[in-house]
Amino acid sequence: MIASIRTGLRSQKTAAVCSVILAVLFILSILAPWIAPHDPVHVNLGVKLQSPSWNYPLGTDQLGRCNLSRLLYGSRISLGFASIIFISSLLIGLLIGTFSGYKGGLIDQVLMRFCEGVMAFPSLVLVLGLVGILGPGLPQVILAMVMVQWVYYARMFRGMVLSLRERNFIAAAKISGSSQWTIIRRHMIPNVLPPIVVMGTLEIGWAIMDIAAMSFLGLGIQPPSPEWGSMIHEGKSYIRSNPELMLYPGMMILIIVVTFNILGEALSERFGVKRRF
Amino acid sequence: MSLLHVSHVTHGYSAFRLFRRAKRSNVLTDVSLSIEPGQCLGLLGTSGAGKSTLGKVILGLEKPQQGQVLFQGVDLYAAHASDRNKLRRDLQVVFQDCYSSVNPRMNAEQIIGEPLLNYEPLSKQEHIRRVEELLEIVGLHPEDRSKYPHQFSGGQLQRINIARAIALKPKMIVLDEAVSSLDMVTQSDILALLCDLKTNFGLSYLFITHDIKAAYHISDALAVMEQGKLAVYCADKEQFMGLQHPSVQKLVQSMLPEHPRLRSGRET
Repeated sequence: MIASIRTGLRSQKTAAVCSVILAVLFILSILAPWIAPHDPVHVNLGVKLQSPSWNYPLGTDQLGRCNLSRLLYGSRISLGFASIIFISSLLIGLLIGTFSGYKGGLIDQVLMRFCEGVMAFPSLVLVLGLVGILGPGLPQVILAMVMVQWVYYARMFRGMVLSLRERNFIAAAKISGSSQWTIIRRHMIPNVLPPIVVMGTLEIGWAIMDIAAMSFLGLGIQPPSPEWGSMIHEGKSYIRSNPELMLYPGMMILIIVVTFNILGEALSERFGVKRRF
Repeated sequence: MSLLHVSHVTHGYSAFRLFRRAKRSNVLTDVSLSIEPGQCLGLLGTSGAGKSTLGKVILGLEKPQQGQVLFQGVDLYAAHASDRNKLRRDLQVVFQDCYSSVNPRMNAEQIIGEPLLNYEPLSKQEHIRRVEELLEIVGLHPEDRSKYPHQFSGGQLQRINIARAIALKPKMIVLDEAVSSLDMVTQSDILALLCDLKTNFGLSYLFITHDIKAAYHISDALAVMEQGKLAVYCADKEQFMGLQHPSVQKLVQSMLPEHPRLRSGRET
């Protein structure tokens, strides 16, 4: 499986370039505490709104904080929490979707009608509503996003289980004496994994954008913690004099989301997976 | 004692509806038949007659709502799980759609080796040798073992399915339209292979098909299903064509004669 992903990446230059960019960003975000030149929340009004210099490679913001350090620390929040949202909604969706598809009948009908109800709303509006109920703050935003996200995974996994269950090789494996777990391990998971990889790359981009959007609206991460969305929010008062305050985090979001999307598209071509259901 | 005995099997599906009453429909109604060791029973019928469902019930994939399936004298659905596993190795299957019968992410060796891994764990060299042997039995090259399903043609893939079915030297194989999706030449090749295997290994077949010629060619006994019921059972195929039962007549008439000129004569 991993070998097939590797050969797929090698054969496709786009996917390879995107993977390298993302890998660099991930490493930078992990190493942020060691490579950031300054403390990202240290206020020093004496050096506010400076242009790039050796000491402050990307200049400082309106409170004299180092822009580069804030960007680096911000990437930890964006990438880290996007991954958390992806993994938890994936697991919930896997559990409920597989269960629903396997059981069928009334349970399946009720669960799927519920999922369709959730999917009928624009997800951002739904997340906003849930955050309104739960109150602002990063944990609440993440909880709300997971609550909305899992339904997409549930539907995808249900569909996969349904189509796999009808395939003859599952029946043939059963007749060959394979136990239920062997069938899941040997036949189900290898056939379900590629779409998950594709979905994952697309969904993480979506999650990063939504976290930033929530922070921009003042609902997600609270100041002074560095986060790209809240950095744009804080920088917007200085759009005439110092547009770079908005430009830097905006560029980061753009690069990372576009890279994830291109990677997702390239992988979906490679594995022949349709974008969404 | 017969190898397989199906007695009074009734089975149906009900589609679940949220706002309407669930609709029940019987696919099989009171079907009984037996197969002797070494015998091949050809099961004929139009599509939708319940042939494949009966095959699934016999294979232990779908528990019938009523009735029993006795394989080697043991009730398949009442048996303890470990007993059932033991029975399973003597009862194998080849499906119609050879492409969906194999996992696209496994190569020929893994496909054929799967039943061996489950029932006869061998050393790595032994395992490979056994797989190569099986490939040769079904008329493929031993080197083909590292190829993936998309690199095979339909006929070759069906041979791989047959190799998997005979890997454990079973007593009986259910051939569910096993040759129906292949072209005429490949069909006769596969039929010849199946005939050879039958004599060499003493296999029993349940040969499910809608093709009366193929069934006639390979079977010892013939049966016809119609709307979920066993309409005709004929222990000796030589007498089958002479039967006056309407469903037999229909089948015989649907068969094209060898030469078009004969057709007009038959219709009068």
